[in-house]
Amino acid sequence: MINDIDQALAGARELRDRIVAHDIAGAQKAWIAARVGWERSEVFTSGFVPQLDDAIDAWPDATKGFHGIEAKLFGANSFDVQDQIGALIQNLANLDQQIRTIQLTAQGLLNGVTRLAYEVGDGKVDGGESRFSGTSLDDMRNNVEGIELAYRIVFASTLEASDPKLAGTVQGEIDRLKQLLTVEDLKQLDPDALRKASEDLVVTLQIAGPKIGLSTPTLEEATK
Amino acid sequence: MNPRLRHGVSRRSDTSAKDSTKDADIMIRRTCWTICVALAGLLLALPLRYAASFPVDGRETVLPSGSELNEEALNVPREQFHSEAAGGRKSYLINLGDLAFSSSAILGGVARQAGISCSTCHVNGASNPKLFVPHLSTRPGNFDTTGHLFNPKADNSVLDPVRVPSLRGARYLAPYGNDGRTASLREFIHNVIVNEFAGPEPPPAILDAMVTYIQDIDFLRDFALGPGGRLAAQASDAARRGEVLFAKPFPHDPSLSCAGCHVPSGAFVDHVPHDVGSGGLFKTPTLLNADFNGPYFHDGRYDSYDQVVAHFDRVFDLGLSAQDRNDLVAYLNAIGNAERPYEYEGVASKLKEIGDFASVLDTAIPAHDSDVISLTVNTVDLELRELTEQFPDHTDPSVTGGQQERARARSALKDLVLRLNRIGAVASAGEFDEAAAEHRNFRNLSVGPLPVLLHAAQPWSLFNPTIHDAHYNALQQMLQTAGK
Repeated sequence: MINDIDQALAGARELRDRIVAHDIAGAQKAWIAARVGWERSEVFTSGFVPQLDDAIDAWPDATKGFHGIEAKLFGANSFDVQDQIGALIQNLANLDQQIRTIQLTAQGLLNGVTRLAYEVGDGKVDGGESRFSGTSLDDMRNNVEGIELAYRIVFASTLEASDPKLAGTVQGEIDRLKQLLTVEDLKQLDPDALRKASEDLVVTLQIAGPKIGLSTPTLEEATK
Repeated sequence: MNPRLRHGVSRRSDTSAKDSTKDADIMIRRTCWTICVALAGLLLALPLRYAASFPVDGRETVLPSGSELNEEALNVPREQFHSEAAGGRKSYLINLGDLAFSSSAILGGVARQAGISCSTCHVNGASNPKLFVPHLSTRPGNFDTTGHLFNPKADNSVLDPVRVPSLRGARYLAPYGNDGRTASLREFIHNVIVNEFAGPEPPPAILDAMVTYIQDIDFLRDFALGPGGRLAAQASDAARRGEVLFAKPFPHDPSLSCAGCHVPSGAFVDHVPHDVGSGGLFKTPTLLNADFNGPYFHDGRYDSYDQVVAHFDRVFDLGLSAQDRNDLVAYLNAIGNAERPYEYEGVASKLKEIGDFASVLDTAIPAHDSDVISLTVNTVDLELRELTEQFPDHTDPSVTGGQQERARARSALKDLVLRLNRIGAVASAGEFDEAAAEHRNFRNLSVGPLPVLLHAAQPWSLFNPTIHDAHYNALQQMLQTAGK
């Protein structure tokens, strides 16, 4: 998680440097690179630091954060993003500090994993989060990668001990999401199937919560 | 029906079902995400989320462009159940039958993909005078059940659409089918599911339930009618004169009269097919509630009673004067009338319907009836998603105000969908005690916080006619822009 945020922060700083150098192609490349670590870390950010999550990654119709920059950088090939990049770097640096000290809870992480699983099928499936950059599919893949990482490291062994069949179902549904996201572009994505796979995973994670000594994870944040 | 939107399929309605033909060509086209992507260059000029917010499931239609299902109607036929009119409540079987009637899952692939169910054509058990499917309809309100689209095996290679009949009072109206070919309602329903719409063989219990449901749909009360189908005291003079003419023997064949086939004391039917010069033998249709069952004749060829009376006058050489015709029309209007034929859709009516459907789980879970649990979860899931889309999200520019209320309503509905699917998931794993617990969770939200949240958001929902029109006008404009 720390590595992911570090990667996002490094990418944002590179983005700032490319903008200063008036290198639009380099800036766009840096923006895409910064997104990878960010999307993988969303299982953590949406649950534990929602204000920073909003400041960094609000969408759609965002004027700030990654997507505010994206609209200008990719939509208009504009360099007029320095203030937004400054704010983004500050927020990512703030996050980078917080993640080293914040008290992570299993319940919070399960909530984050569940919300992100829901978001992949609900908000992101119908056109993608990063429309201007064309990296929406990567966003979703990185989200699912983050979901799988968090599940395997934190929850999988406990669930396998209490309900191995359910654990198999979780892994199967994550695999199903990954498989659906192997398409070449968004046009080939089957939105119905992705939405269903996403909700199936959410439902299974909600059933799994009490079986590993936690509460049923809520979607309070994800369904706002 | 759900708002699973299909390219070129209109589900919109104006507020009156009587002027069906006038607005039949107002096709508010919906698109799907596939199409939106294809038109991305144009749509990017519009608010992005809005452009993609209508195609809820992003499925490209399997129906011909220009199809009209009229599912967005706010003013819908009122459904009167015999069991409730008698002071009781609907049984498990009636609710299960209603659920199956509203479920596309019992039909075959094309209908299922298009989200079509029995209730698409028989709205609340009545008819659908605006239904139009290119290549299967020759006018709004009729439909070829032996066409290629829904079951190639049923295709008779002839465009022979029949009008969509109301099912009110069906228990009095055997035999079934326009030509009265089927004595058993159960057999008729089976034929519709399996042959006309290529559905899988339905479980016997589902067929039984559908028969029970249809047989519970009453005619709506008509205050103009007294005992034995005679006009009540308040009838107009014209209607009374019409009543006399209706019973009068035909001049060239005294064995015939209108009332001889449309027997007033017997729901205005005689259960027998006749040739009335319309191209074959067709069953006598009931005249009860018929003011709302147009178009008329087996193929829906006539829009009005004037045309119907003129047809009989011509074919049977009745020699009617202009006043005679007017009197007969007045009589038909009187006996075809109904108390409160339509009602407005709203949060209360939708929650009532969903609650009735979900009540099937009260019996199916303790009975460990996995098939019925699955059908219920599937159908209620779609109903809840449809209801969610009645509360546009913050990206819909045609709706201002109530953003928090709408967001809360959507959030609660999404949560409810997940609770519902948890019931299905644990039940399919054979964990029926857990399914019962999840069902309690589902019900607690359904009857507690949910109605409060939905009622609070209703003024800014598509149940509000002003917002309804603004929403679909904006959509129409958007798609016109995209299509240029």
